[in-house]
Amino acid sequence: MNVIEKLVGSLFSDVGVYDAIRVTLCMSVCSTLLSSAIGIALGLALERFSFPGKRIVVRVNRTLMGVPPVVVGLVVYMLIMRRGPLGFLGILFTVRGMILAQTLIITPIICGMTYSYAVKTAPAVRVFARTMGANRRQTSILLVREMKYELYFAMISGFGRSISEVGAVMLVGGNIKGNTRTMTTAIALLKSQGIFHEGLTLGLLLLVMAFVIQCLADFLRREVQEEENY
Amino acid sequence: MRTTEETRQSFAIRMRNVEKRIGEFQLKIEDLTLEEGRIHGFIGGNGSGKTTAAKLMMGILSPDAGTIERKDLGPRDITMTSQRPYLLHDTVYANLVYPLRVRGRKPEESQVRALLARFGLEDKAKQYARSLSSGEQQKLSMLRALIFEPRFLIIDETLSNMDPESVEQFEEMILDIQKKNPVTWVIISHRLSHVYRLCDRLHFFSRGSVLASGTGDEILFKSSEPEIRRFMSKEMIRSGSAES
Ligand SMILES: Nc1ncnc2c1ncn2[C@@H]1O[C@H](COP(=O)(O)OP(=O)(O)OP(=O)(O)O)[C@@H](O)[C@H]1O
Ligand SMILES: [Mg+2]
Repeated sequence: MNVIEKLVGSLFSDVGVYDAIRVTLCMSVCSTLLSSAIGIALGLALERFSFPGKRIVVRVNRTLMGVPPVVVGLVVYMLIMRRGPLGFLGILFTVRGMILAQTLIITPIICGMTYSYAVKTAPAVRVFARTMGANRRQTSILLVREMKYELYFAMISGFGRSISEVGAVMLVGGNIKGNTRTMTTAIALLKSQGIFHEGLTLGLLLLVMAFVIQCLADFLRREVQEEENY
Repeated sequence: MRTTEETRQSFAIRMRNVEKRIGEFQLKIEDLTLEEGRIHGFIGGNGSGKTTAAKLMMGILSPDAGTIERKDLGPRDITMTSQRPYLLHDTVYANLVYPLRVRGRKPEESQVRALLARFGLEDKAKQYARSLSSGEQQKLSMLRALIFEPRFLIIDETLSNMDPESVEQFEEMILDIQKKNPVTWVIISHRLSHVYRLCDRLHFFSRGSVLASGTGDEILFKSSEPEIRRFMSKEMIRSGSAES
């Protein structure tokens, strides 16, 4: 461990690479878990219930799926800055503030993906559950079980989005070394200092992480599709 | 005398003046009574409303008008195998025992294995259910419907992709069940050969209504409806030429 630490340390100048990796992972895991809980529940509820204005809600959600993260960052910044309505929380320039912003960015993505999968899956599952005599609770459990690969996939997509995001994290976190500096904001800083090779190395590391995540997603997808006998 | 008459005529499901509109399609059933403990066949061309009527009986669809009486049949006593079987993203075994799990019953391993073996699926218990061949998928969906001993079963075209031997085996199994502990069946098919031998009564569907109900012979030989006669004669020629 120590050797690796030294090796990595000698590779990079004083931007706090280790902490940046740690912060990135901590922020991404937390915000993905939070967003998954909220997004999956909302997506399923949106499929399950009909109410006036539902189509608008779905459309708004689709729009939010593509909202520029930096805009969310700005809004969150204005909310949690000292004189903002949520200023009393004191989470500006903290990892918590970053998790809040990230959760707002990822939740619509997970919600939207969950909703579109549920729309495709649920009717058949409900009819099937009915023919099997399942009650309501059993039907809901079955639906989630039948969608589990798709739900993993939505979560992984959210996580991928989270580790690669810069703008919101920069605005809300402030890129404080050893504290709120992430891999992406470190890259931005390295670039401004003209230290390109280190920025590239860090970028490569991010790419490797994204690749691993894609492999995981691919693996899940394959498990679903390859065995099917059409 | 009266009491035997009454018990003989007691019904499992009765539809009266039922109407259901789906898009352009209009189902209209004045009176369809399915006597308890009998094997009923629904026949008729594509799009004549057989599946829709079955879904109404299951409670999957609700009628726009009319009444559907289910005598002593709770949601757990009645089941339907679908034209395109829904198989869980899981193993054959998990699919087969799912209705037992729903009822909090523990599957009896030996019984489950015997059931699979009877239809040549014994090696496939651990296989991913959706990788089965289409006939195997239909067998699985059929066995899954039978395993929890429901009192009312709707079999929607489930025999259509099975090989003749398996069809025969299932027919035997159905007759077996009827001998021991009769339940009510609805067997949907557009192939006369599947239902004529098996069914106590046939119901002929055409353009969203039941044109005629009766025993196989009544429908086959005594009906004066030109549409039924046409359907039957085509079926007879087909099954005749298939046998020779
Ligand atoms: N969800 C739907 N939307 C629009 N039309 C529908 C829908 N469901 C059924 N229909 C129409 O209702 C008609 C009856 O369908 P149904 O499935 O009951 O026919 P069927 O007698 O079972 O035919 P088959 O022998 O081909 O299975 C068809 O013409 C079909 O197009
Ligand atoms: Mg049909």
